[in-house]
Parts: sequence; C-alpha cells; structure tokens
Amino acid sequence: MELARPSKKTNGVGVQVGDTMICVVMVGLPARGKSLIAQKAQRYLKWLSIDAKVFNVGNYRRKGAAQPTADFFDVNNSEGERMRRAAAEAAVDDMMKWFKEGGGIIAILDATNSTKSRRRWIKERCDKENIETLFVESKCDDEDLIMSNILEVKTTSPDYVGQDPEAAAQDFRNRIRNYEKVYETIDEEEKNLTYLKIMDVGSRVIINQIQDYLQSRVVYYLMNLHIKRRSIWLSRHGESMYNVTGQIGGDAELSPRGEQYARKLPELVRESFEGQEHPLTVWTSTLKRTIATARHLPQEWNQLQWKALDELDSGVCDNMTYAEIKTEYPDDFKARDDDKYNYRYRGGESYRDVVIRLEPIIMELERSENILIVTHQAILRCIYAYFMKEDQERSPWLNVPLHCLIKLTPRAYGTEKVVYKANIDAVSTWRGKGSTAKHEDPTDETASLAKLGDGHVEFDAPAVSSDEDASAFSTTPSLDDIKVEVTSEFHRFPAHYLGEGRHRLPRKWLQPEK
Amino acid sequence: MDTLLTAEIAANSPRYRRRSSTFIDGVHDVQDDQAPVLAPAQLYSTMSGRLFHSGRIAIVLVGLPARGKTHISVSLSRYLQWLGVKTRVFHLGDYRRATMGSENDVPEDYFFINASAKSVLLRQKILKKCRDDIYDWLNHENGQVAIYDAVNPLAAGRESLAKEFLKHDVQTLFLESWVDDQSILEENARSVKISSPDFKGMNPDDAAKLYLKRIDMKIPHFETMSEKKLNWIRMINAGAMLEYNNVNFGYLSHRIVFYLMNLHIKSRRTFFARAGTSEKTDYYQADASLGEEGNAYAQKMADTLIEHRQAERAALIASGGSEAPLKPLAVWTSTRKRTVQTADAFLERGYTVRQRSQMSQLHPGVCEKLSENAIRRIYPEEVVKHQQDPYHHRYPRAESYHDLAVRLEPIILELEREQNDLLIIAHESVLRVLYGYLMACNAMSIPTLKFPRNQIIEIIPASYQNEAKLIEIRDLDPAMIPGSPEDIRLPVAPPSGMVSPMSGIGTPAMGLSTPSEPADLPARAKPTIVVKEEHPLSKD
Repeated sequence: MELARPSKKTNGVGVQVGDTMICVVMVGLPARGKSLIAQKAQRYLKWLSIDAKVFNVGNYRRKGAAQPTADFFDVNNSEGERMRRAAAEAAVDDMMKWFKEGGGIIAILDATNSTKSRRRWIKERCDKENIETLFVESKCDDEDLIMSNILEVKTTSPDYVGQDPEAAAQDFRNRIRNYEKVYETIDEEEKNLTYLKIMDVGSRVIINQIQDYLQSRVVYYLMNLHIKRRSIWLSRHGESMYNVTGQIGGDAELSPRGEQYARKLPELVRESFEGQEHPLTVWTSTLKRTIATARHLPQEWNQLQWKALDELDSGVCDNMTYAEIKTEYPDDFKARDDDKYNYRYRGGESYRDVVIRLEPIIMELERSENILIVTHQAILRCIYAYFMKEDQERSPWLNVPLHCLIKLTPRAYGTEKVVYKANIDAVSTWRGKGSTAKHEDPTDETASLAKLGDGHVEFDAPAVSSDEDASAFSTTPSLDDIKVEVTSEFHRFPAHYLGEGRHRLPRKWLQPEK
Repeated sequence: MDTLLTAEIAANSPRYRRRSSTFIDGVHDVQDDQAPVLAPAQLYSTMSGRLFHSGRIAIVLVGLPARGKTHISVSLSRYLQWLGVKTRVFHLGDYRRATMGSENDVPEDYFFINASAKSVLLRQKILKKCRDDIYDWLNHENGQVAIYDAVNPLAAGRESLAKEFLKHDVQTLFLESWVDDQSILEENARSVKISSPDFKGMNPDDAAKLYLKRIDMKIPHFETMSEKKLNWIRMINAGAMLEYNNVNFGYLSHRIVFYLMNLHIKSRRTFFARAGTSEKTDYYQADASLGEEGNAYAQKMADTLIEHRQAERAALIASGGSEAPLKPLAVWTSTRKRTVQTADAFLERGYTVRQRSQMSQLHPGVCEKLSENAIRRIYPEEVVKHQQDPYHHRYPRAESYHDLAVRLEPIILELEREQNDLLIIAHESVLRVLYGYLMACNAMSIPTLKFPRNQIIEIIPASYQNEAKLIEIRDLDPAMIPGSPEDIRLPVAPPSGMVSPMSGIGTPAMGLSTPSEPADLPARAKPTIVVKEEHPLSKD
C-alpha cells in the first residue's frame, strides 16, 4: 500500500526540473500569428537564460519547393503532401538532435500541425525521447485580422518574392483554404494532451493538463501576448546633473540641456508617428529625472510611474564616480568588468536582479499596445535586450546615448528599430571595460541602441524566413542563406549566481501608485 | 477608524486576528499598517501599498459546496500575500455563522430562488455585512485584492455583483471551481465535510454521497459561468483544465491564472525533515557525505515517518474513517550530498526520490568558514545591519533569505502542484522559507524558525488554514539535534520591539471557532519551533 508509485504527471517521479525538456508545438491555420508567438517565446526564454530554439517546418519545406503555388498545399496533391511530411520529419529530427546534443530545454515547432494525426505523430516521437509536449493553438476567425496579417507579412514572404502583392495575397488566401479543408481544432478527443488554446485574440483561453512548473511558466507568458501591431518607444531621461559630474545612481535633477530635451521630446515623438497620430501611454520610473523628462508630453496621455523601472541600484556606490569606485572598491570594480551581467553591487543589484524585477514590466508591455518608456540606462539595456535578442555578454555594455528616441516595432520575424535624434548635446555615459573616464566616447565597435541615423530601419536579426504558411520581410536573405541560429552561450537554467555584492537592505521605496 | 473596522471584521469573521504566532497559519492575519513589512517574496513596495498598477480587484468565487472554494481562496491569498499583494479573504460562511450563531443551520430555502421573505432578508443582511467589510477594507486599509468566498450560483446575481463592485471602482474577477468528476467530489466531501454530527456512524462513502445529495437539494439552481461580458476563470476538475474569459485582464489576473495552473484542490500533506550530519565539519563548498551518525539518523527518520503515516491511517479507520490506502509519498531533496543520502533511506524502501537543484541552501558567502566571533570582528557593521533586518540583509557574497525566497519560486509552485504526500529533506534555511510560505509567516520571523533534527514537521491542509504538527524522532543522539556544523551561524535575533512569535498574542478568538480549527495547536506546536530568546552569538 505504502509503496504505491506516484504518477508521472504529478512530478513524483522522473527527471529533475533541470532536465525537463519541452517541445512547444504550434497549432493553427496560416496567418494566425504563430511565427510571431514562436519568436517571442524564444526571445523571452532566452532572456530568462533558458535555452530555447524555434524549428520552422516551412524552412525545411522551402529547400525542396521554393515558391510553390496554392496547389502545392492542396490535400489532394500527393507530391505536395509527401514533401510537407518530409519537411516536418526533417525538422523534428533536427529538434531531437538539438535536445540530445545541444542540451536544449525548450524547442518550439513552428508549423500548422493542423491535423490530429500530425499532432499524435509529434507526441509519439516526443514521448519516446521523454520530451514533454505542449500544444499551443491560436484560433482566430476574425477575417479582418487575418487579411491584414496576410497583407502585412505574408505577401513579402520568400514564397512570393518578386510577385505581384495582390496576386500573392490571393494565392495565399487560397493556400489557407486548402488548410481549412483538413484543419482540425484541438477538442474533447485530445483531452489527454497538454495544450493551450487561445481563441478570439486571447479573449477566450483554455489551458489543459499542465504538467509542471516550466510549462505553466511558458503558458503564462504566451497568454499575455497579443499579435496586433504596435510599437514601443524608449528614451532615457534627459541629461541629469549627475551625468554631467559623472556620478552614478542618485536622484538628481535634469541639467539645462536635459531640460531642453524634455521640452523637445513631444516634438520628437510626433515625428516618430510619421503622420499617424495616436495617443501613447507613458511609463516612467519614480525618480525625478524621468518624471521631469516626461512632463511636457500631452496632458491627456496616461502616465504611470513604475518602481520597477528605477535605475539599477548601485548600493554603496550610489552617488560615486567610476574613478571613486575604482579607488574605494578596486576588487569590485574589476569583478564588475569581468562579469557585468552577474556582478551585484554591494548592497545593490546586478543586471540579473534587474531582469527579475522587470518581469511585471515585460508582461505588461506584452499585454499593452503603444507605450513610451522613459527610464534609465541599465533598465533600457535590459528591455532592449529583450526585444532585440542581445545576449548577456553584450547587453550590459550597450551604448544608450542620451537625447534620442528609439521606436521598436515587433514583427513576425524580428523587431524593427527606428532612431530619432533630438540633436541636443549631452555627455556620453557609456563606459568601456576598465575605464574610469568621466565621459568616454564609444568606439566604432560599440554596440549601440542608436547607431543608425534618423529614419533608418534595422532589424534585430537577419530576418530568417519562416514556416510552412508564413514568410518574412522583403529584406530576407536568399533561401540558400537560411541559417539556423545556434545558441550555446546561455546557461541551462537561471543559474543561482552570487555576485560580489554585500548586502541589500530593503529600501523604503516609495511609489505613488494610484 | 481602522481599529473599529478591524474590530467589525474580527467580530464577524473569527478567522482574522491581529497577529498570530508562527505556529499558526498566518494567512488570515490582519497586517498591522503601522509597521509595514515587506512580504517574503516582494520585489518592491509602493506608497499606496498596491502593486503592479493593477488597481483593486474583487475575486469572487463561484461554485457549489465541496468544490474546494475555500481552499482555493485561502491558497490564492497565501500566494498573493507572499508576493506582497495586500489580499484578504472574506468567507461569507463566517458572516453567516456570526449572524446566525454557529449552532443554527441555514433555513431550508436559504439558497432557493423563490425563498421566503424571511430567508431573503436574512440573506441580504449577511451579504451586506460582508460587502461592507470588503469596501471598508479596500477603501480605508489600502487593500488591493478582496477574495469573496461564497457560492454565487446565479448569473443574474453575478452580473449585479460585478456592477456593484464597478461602482466602487473595483474590478471583478470571477473564479469558478467546477467539478463533474464524481471521485473528486466524493473525496472532497469525505475529507472535509462529514465531520458533522449528522453523519456520525455512517459509512464514509455513504455519508459523502448523502452530503452531495443534500447540496443539490439545498442549492437546486446553479449556473456555470458563461457570461461573455464578465472576467472569469473556471477551474475544471481540480485544475485538470482551466478556462478563462478575458474582458480586461490586468497583470494580476494573468498572474493568478499562472498560479492556478499549479494549484489543485486535493488534500495532501507536506513533511519537512532535516538532512543527517556529516562526519567532519562540512563547509558549503565541500558538500560532504553523511557520516555514520547521519546514516543512523536517516534510517530512524524514515522509520518514524512511515510508522507515523501508518498509525494515522489505522487511527482514521478505527474512528470510522475511510479505509482508502495512503496517498503515495514522494521525497524531494536538494542536490547536496547530505540531503540526497538522507533520502536513500526512503529509496531503499521503494519510495521515489527527486532531486531539485533550486533547493540548495542559503549561500553563506564569506561567512562560510568563519566563526561567529570572526564575523563580528571582521564585519562589525554587517552584523549591525543583519540584526536590523535579518530577512533582507546579505553578508558579503552571501544570499539573503529574500534572495532564497525569490529563487524558490519554482519549488513553491511545484509544491502546490504536487498531489502526493510530500517529504522535503533540505537544509534548515530552505525549510524556513518553505514553512514560511505554507504557514504565511511574517518575513521577519522566517530567519528565526527552528527545525531541530529530532522532529519532523507535518503540515496538514485544512480548508481554512494549514496546520502544523510535529512528529518526534526518538532516541537520537542529543548532540545532533540542534544546529549542525554546516549551519551558517549568523546572528538572527529578532530586532528589539518585535513581538516574539512565542507570546501567543492574538491567537484566534476561541468563542467562534469552527471544528476545523484545533484550539490546542499553539500549545502542541510550541516546543517545535523555538525562537531563540537569547542572542545566538552568546552561545558560540
């Protein structure tokens, strides 16, 4: 009696959490935002130091059939069917290899997976290798949303390079019709599957048979996402008195030039609208310099102050210059340069700590539409790293110049970035490794949030073309260039890392929240 | 003003008390606003006391009796409070008992749509009291989440409730527990409901069936949630499936869904035990193996726990309870050698053991090899800071208890999702935090909790609150019972002026207690977790 075995699904037996492997299987008709969701999930997990990778069946299929017409996707086209099946198998094979040899944690299988038999096949393959499956179905019948998705993204797909957009859209709609013929939504019969089913753009959601914490964490993130187009505006506060004196932290006022930037900001934001006026929600930290920077923005825009957007807490080094830190805490100074992401200021925070406290911000950002964030250098580095897939080695060293506005627009295959410069002089607060200079100019090699001039558009990653049903931007490299990103620089799990920090008393943080 | 309101609440809902001891689940404690303390896993605080710009929310439970509503309310409240969200549960049942007296049953037609005028008046009187308390708490005590634990069976009633809350600028989120799996229903009915004298002498299975039938007769009309215009979450069959309708979910609503994905409503026990000792002095980095004595301890501990479980089952059967087999027991350890090897005693006996890397102990940082005197000498200013705030203070390169609590989040949610009985063998620092979560301890008291080696702590979920019990391991070498060599001997005396958990101030009001609340618990538990009264440094 006493020896009855706990069942597998309750976590009583089996692998440790560290060894959990999950295959997230996207399910849904074309143009439902599956690739966007897949990409975002990968980005989020990596940001949390969980190794994740998208396997896109469309990429495998395109190797065999680069620009197929809708007929190819007809269920009665056995040749098309055979090739699509082969592509799925190739993708799953690579995925298994990645789990086994690459030490992967979460793979995202991005394809339509629109039939029960296909899903059963994937589950069987994963079960055999002890990999958990989590099916994610995005079901949307809003014809307007589908068409806008087709026009915006699909017609620029590599499948349609060089074709007339109107004809491409029509062909794509036909392709979807072919899928619709055989599409089976996840239903009662599949109640033993672990799945997340998102209906009507997130207003109705079903979550079934979640097996463990990590799955719940992924689902939690996914249910916060929406696929409507929107942008995020990022700005540092205007130049502060501390920036001028080269001190870090504190709660200083704006310098006269910083004040000038605050006055210019509304104009800069208007410029970024590019003719399409609409209100923004403004988020600032609770520190004077960000609130002052945002205060000339239109009164009717909603403004929220977030404690979680306050600058990285530099603990005992608050109010000091880098030169002073080096003199007073030489070991700390060096330790920070050695591993800036994990270094925790004595009595303060590390970048890793900041990422944890930004969790509500990221979730809220994903749920919201157009947001302007006025915050601080380290916080912007973390938020930027999330949207632009910067890794932990690089992100703490990014150059975030003062007095410019960055507009990020998440798209299916990357985030689009546009920089608007205020052309108001400011000191540089960037600091190279080992340097104690008060104001140092970034080198040409320095990765920068704002390297591009006004109006230039940049993507975070080479726009890798996507799945069976989907596509990418016109900037997509030729099909031969399709690269599989390999990520080995990430820890398997959020390492329990201890920085050099000493202690951290809870600060009596005050946030005037309504 | 606040005091009066609190008095009102206390009068109407016996669950709430000013401050309980650490031996009693603090989930129903009334926090003292004069001395705001960060919650154990709180990342930041705000002037208003509200977090995440999520506004004020009323979580309204929906579901027939025996669907685990109270358990869900209390568990959710425990989790939100752990995160620092000011949450309070308002059990309508408490108000009903306070109004009618605990002896009297509700009128037969109390839940009927066409109830008599007398019943309707009574119903309204009780509802009004409860809602007034909810508004008072949200408006005057900076509450953020009010959990309203009641049946709320009808769609029309729910809609008007949402409207009423909205008038007070409070968002409503309905949370339904829907169960159609008969075995879950009967288990629930058996485990919590049939202690009533009505069922005395009956076969437990028959009693459960009768109880469920009575519910159906008493509350003949129940409409499951399908309202398109309301925010709701439906938990189906103890969490096997979750479904929600999102009209305007905020951050907190999604976070609640995240938590619910890990919650189930089945009753199971958690045991805490220490690892055995190593032969030589163990340092954090050395990760030593168990010594001979440690092995002997592991065997004794395993025997004690297994005997205890069997004795409990025998006692239950003897008192006419269920003859169902014991729930399987799962064992979790950290990846540290001593915990793993202590669990070997269970592995040999055929139990399943699982290692979890997140459960490794509080990192001692520079204190690792230092005696307390050395710490005092080298880091005098750190010692002062530590005494001021032992929960948040970090020694150089060390982790604070707060760090540990944040790091343990996956474990806490896995703990919620575990359906088997569970034994956790871990370092004292980890046990402190996990106990602190399950018993809703005040952050400041967590570093002072004691887990001597001769005791296994058992946590039993009752529907209103968790109860801690201790199981003594006999015939242990007294030398190994108290703090072991690997303990970080950090000074953890509570700051002066803090009420000692030993004082027993504010233990639950006795007069109105219900059967689920064992009055003798504090007395029984007292020797369990002894707070060091003297300065720990003095007995190095």
